[in-house]
Amino acid sequence: MKLNEHSQNLGMRIGTIQIVAFVMLGILGVRLYYLQVVKGEHYSERAENQRIRHIPIPAPRGVIFDRNGKILVDSRPTWNVVLSNEPIKKIDVTSRVEEYADGLNLEPGFVVERLDLIKKQNEFETMVLKENATMQDITWVESHSLEFPELRIENQPQRFYPHGTQLAHVLGYVGEISPKQLESTEWNEKGLKPGDIIGKGGLEQYYDEFLRGKPGYRKVIVDSRGRVQSEIGVVPAQAGQDMVSTIDLGVQLAAEQKLAESASKRGTLIAMDPNNGEILAMASLPSFDPNIFVQGSKTPEGRKQIAAYWQDEKRPLYNRAIQGRYPPGSTWKIPESVAALQQGVITVKNSNMVCGGGIQIGSKFTRCMGSHGSPPLSYAITHSCDGYYYRLALKMKVEGLIQMVETFDYDKRTGVDLPNEKVSQTPKSWKPIVEKREGRWNDIRTVFASIGQDTVVVTPISMLRAVASIGVHGKMYTPHFLKEFRPIGAIGEPDDQTYIKPRDGIPYANTEPKLIEMTPEQEEIVVQGMWAVVNGGGTGAGIRIPEFEIAGKTGTAQVAELGKDVGANKDHAWFVSFAPAFKPEIAVIALVENVGFGGSHAAPAAKGVYEAYMAGKGILPTVPASGAAEANTNSGTARAID
Amino acid sequence: MVAIIEKRDLRDFDWLTTFLAVAIAGFGIWQIHNALPTESYWTKQIIGLCIAMVAFLVIAFSDYRRIIELAPFFYGFGLVLLALVLTPLGVEVNGQQAWLKLPVVGQFQPSEFVKIPTVLMLAKYFGARKSGSLSLREVLVGCAILAGPVGLIMLEPDAGQAITYFPILAAVLFLSAVQVRYVVIALLAAAIFIPASYYAGVRTGVIKRYQQERINAIIDPESADPKGFGYHTMQSIITVGKGGLSGIKGDPETSQSVLKFLPEPHTDFIFAVTAENTGFIGCVSLLIAYALLLSRLIAGARSASERPGMLVIMAIATAMVFQIFINVGMALGFLPVIGVPLPLMSAGLSAILSTFIAIGFVVSVKMRRFVN
Repeated sequence: MKLNEHSQNLGMRIGTIQIVAFVMLGILGVRLYYLQVVKGEHYSERAENQRIRHIPIPAPRGVIFDRNGKILVDSRPTWNVVLSNEPIKKIDVTSRVEEYADGLNLEPGFVVERLDLIKKQNEFETMVLKENATMQDITWVESHSLEFPELRIENQPQRFYPHGTQLAHVLGYVGEISPKQLESTEWNEKGLKPGDIIGKGGLEQYYDEFLRGKPGYRKVIVDSRGRVQSEIGVVPAQAGQDMVSTIDLGVQLAAEQKLAESASKRGTLIAMDPNNGEILAMASLPSFDPNIFVQGSKTPEGRKQIAAYWQDEKRPLYNRAIQGRYPPGSTWKIPESVAALQQGVITVKNSNMVCGGGIQIGSKFTRCMGSHGSPPLSYAITHSCDGYYYRLALKMKVEGLIQMVETFDYDKRTGVDLPNEKVSQTPKSWKPIVEKREGRWNDIRTVFASIGQDTVVVTPISMLRAVASIGVHGKMYTPHFLKEFRPIGAIGEPDDQTYIKPRDGIPYANTEPKLIEMTPEQEEIVVQGMWAVVNGGGTGAGIRIPEFEIAGKTGTAQVAELGKDVGANKDHAWFVSFAPAFKPEIAVIALVENVGFGGSHAAPAAKGVYEAYMAGKGILPTVPASGAAEANTNSGTARAID
Repeated sequence: MVAIIEKRDLRDFDWLTTFLAVAIAGFGIWQIHNALPTESYWTKQIIGLCIAMVAFLVIAFSDYRRIIELAPFFYGFGLVLLALVLTPLGVEVNGQQAWLKLPVVGQFQPSEFVKIPTVLMLAKYFGARKSGSLSLREVLVGCAILAGPVGLIMLEPDAGQAITYFPILAAVLFLSAVQVRYVVIALLAAAIFIPASYYAGVRTGVIKRYQQERINAIIDPESADPKGFGYHTMQSIITVGKGGLSGIKGDPETSQSVLKFLPEPHTDFIFAVTAENTGFIGCVSLLIAYALLLSRLIAGARSASERPGMLVIMAIATAMVFQIFINVGMALGFLPVIGVPLPLMSAGLSAILSTFIAIGFVVSVKMRRFVN
C-alpha cells in the first residue's frame, strides 16, 4: 500500500467498501437460495400452471334413433368463436365490446353479457362468444389474431334435429347450462361448468346423463398472451351413449300430419304398444323447432323467435300429451264402467240403467243427448248414453269415483320418461276443496263428473294408459320411450390417469305393470261396447277399417256452456282406442282442441295413425289419401248421439 | 496515445481480471441466447464483445494519467452528448429519450458512457488534494460534478441510470477522507429522508402512479395488478424459482422468456434467465465470479501508485457492485423494477462497451503501479 503516507485509514476505508460489496452479493445469494432451493418446487409448479392449458374437446351427444334405426337427432360439426379467459385478465375487454360486436355481427348487449359470465369462470376456461361462426367470422378472427389474441376458433359438434318441429316435444332440445342450474347441487355434483351443453326438455333432459359425453382435452403450451405454441398431449372425448327409442318414425309423422290437418291445428296424438308401454308416436301441436333453440340463442333473430314461442298464446312449447289437462268427456266412461263392475254397482248379467233422456237434480235438469230407454252397459258405451252414467255415478257415489281414480292412477303421474309431466285433477283432488268452499259435495257434481266434466281434467297420456290396459287384461304399463342405450368404449388404458371407463349398454327395465282387476266377462262387455263404437254403428263408426278392428270411445268435452260453444270455445274432440279390438297391438289417443265432436274430428285423426301403423307392418299397402273426408260424411250419425 | 507494447507491459498486464471479465461476458452471451434463441441479440452481443475488447486493449495500454489530465475535456464532451439526447437527435424508447442516433457512429446510450468521464473528473479533482479532512467546499464541488450528468439524465428521464451515478460520488468522498461522522449522518439522513420524500412525493404527485406500483409490487408481488409492473416482478420471481438447484432440463421452447412471460429477458431480466437455465449453482457461480472480479479490482486499487488511479478503480468497482445489486435485486423481486443493465451480462453494445472501457482503465492503472 503506497498511499498510506497521506491517507486517513485509507486501507480500512477500501476494506469497508470491499466488505459492503461482499455483503451485498451475499444478500443476493441468500435470496437466491430461498427462491430456488427452498421454494423452487412451488415456483416450478406455478410456471407450469401458467404455461399449460387444457383446451376442451367437446364430446358429441349420443344419437337418438327410432325403433327401426332411423335418426331422430344427431350432431353435426360447427365452428364457434370462443374467448379464452387467460389473456383477458391482462387486458380490459370491456373496451372491446364494440369491436367484437362489429366484427362478429353481434349485439353489444349480448357481448357485455358474455364478458360478465366469463369473469365468473374459473381459470383456463373458454366461453363461446359466437356459435355457428360463418366463414366471414372465422376470417375476421384469424386476421385479428394479433390484435385480439383472446379470440379463437373451436370446433364443436352441434345438435341437429332433422325433423324440425316434428317430435319436438318428445326430443326437447339442448342449450348451455344456466347460471341458476350451476348453483344447484344437483348439477354441481356432476362437475358441469358454464358453457356446458345440457338437455333442456324432453328426452334430451330426461336422459341427459346418458346422452351427454365426457369431454376430452388437448394439453397445450401457451405463451403469456394465451396463444397456443404447441400441443403436448390429447385425451379424446368420449361420446354420449346412443339411444334407441320406441318411436316409430312413420307412425309419428302420420300423427303430426293428422294434427296439422285438423280444423284447429291444436291437439295431441299418442300411439302406444299396450303390451309393454312403448310409445310409438307422440305428437303435440302447435310445435316448435328445437334447432332454433340450439342455433338461435346467440343471435338477435333467434332470441326474438324464442321469445315469440314463449309469448305465443297457443303455447307451442307445451307438450299437450303430458302437460295438457282437459275434461275427458265421454272417454271417462270407459274406466268408469270398469270401476262400476269392480265395485259391484252393476254386474255383467245386470248392467242396465235408465237413460231417461237426462236427470233432474234439484231444480236443474241435465240432458242426455238422446233417449236410450234402459240400456245395458255395452249399448251405453257404444252410443255414449249420458243418462246411463248419471245414474251409474250417483249409485257409485263420489266415493266410488274416487276409488276409480285411484284404481286407474289418475291421481299420479304415469311415470313416462319425460320431464314435467302433470297430474290429472279429479273428484279426489277437488272434493276437499269443494267441501271447504261450498260446505258439501252436491250430487250435481257427481253427475257432471260421471261424463268427465266439471271437476275432471286429465292428461291425455293418463287417459291412454288407463284405457289401453283394458284391452290387455288390465295390465297398466308405464308408458316410455326408451328401448335401450347402446354401449360405448373406454378412452385410454385402465392404467392411464386420464382413463375414461366404458359405458355399458342399458336396455329399458320394464317394471311390473299395475293390474286392474277384472273378470274376463267384465272385460269382454266393456271391450264389446268399445268395439261397437267403431264397428257396430256407434259414435266412431266413420273410421272403421275392416281388416283391423278398432275398439274405441269418442269424447266431446265441453269447454263453455251450451249455446256458447262456438268459435274458439268449441268442444274438445277426443278419441281413445286400441286395435285389434280383442288382441290389441297398438293403442291410440287423439285430442283435438276446440273443434267439436270427437267422432268427427278426433277419431279420423286416430284412424290416420292406425293406417300408418298398418302400412309400416305391411298390412295396408298404402295409406289412403285422408280419412277425414270419409269421416265427415258419417259425422251426421255420430254427432246426434255422442 | 497508444503506447508501444513492451515486454514489461505484457508481464504487468492483468490477465486474470481480463479473463474474468471476458468469461462473464461469454456466459452472458450464452444466457442471451437462452433468453431469445430465435433472435439475433446473442450474435450482436458477440460482435459487441469484440468491439469492447478492442476499446479495452486501447485503454489498457494507454497511460491513464494523461487521460485523467484530459478529464475536463471528456467530461464536457459527455455533457454535450447528454444534452444532444434531449434534442431531436435523441431517440425515444418506451417513453424515455435515452438514446442518441448519430450518423456513422449509429445509435448508443450516452448515459452509459458518461459515467467514465464523470469518474475521471472526480478522480482528477479529489486526487489532487494532499491530506486532511474534506472541506464542505470540496464536497460541494464533488456534488456539482455529479449533478451535471445526473441532472441531464433525469431529464430523459432515466431514473435507473441516474441512480447508478451516486455510488461513484459516495465512494470517492468516502475514500477522500470524509469524516466518519459525516458518513453516519448521511446514512441516518438517508434513512429518514428517503421514506419521507417518497411519502411527500406520493402526496404531491411528483412520484407517478406507475412508480408507486413498482414499489408496491415489491412489498406484495402476489397481489399486484397482473397488468402492471407487479406482473413483471412476479414473473421474474417465478422464473428464478423455477430454475431450482441446477436449472431447467429439457425443452427450452417452454422457458419463461420464450413464452414471453418474462419481459426484457435479454437485458433487464437476464439474471432471471440465468437462474432459470443454470439454477442456484449457476447463479452462485456467477456471483462468485463477480466477487472475484471485484476483489481483483480492489486489490488493484490498494496497489495503485497514485491517488487518482486508486479513486478511478474504486469508483468503477463501487458503481459495478451497486449496479449488480440493483439489477439482481430486481430480478429476485426485492427491489423495484428499474431499467439497469447487469454489468457484462445484459445485451446491449453501449453497456458492454462502457464496462470494458472502465475495466480498461483499471488494467491501465495496475500496469503502471510501479512508479517509473
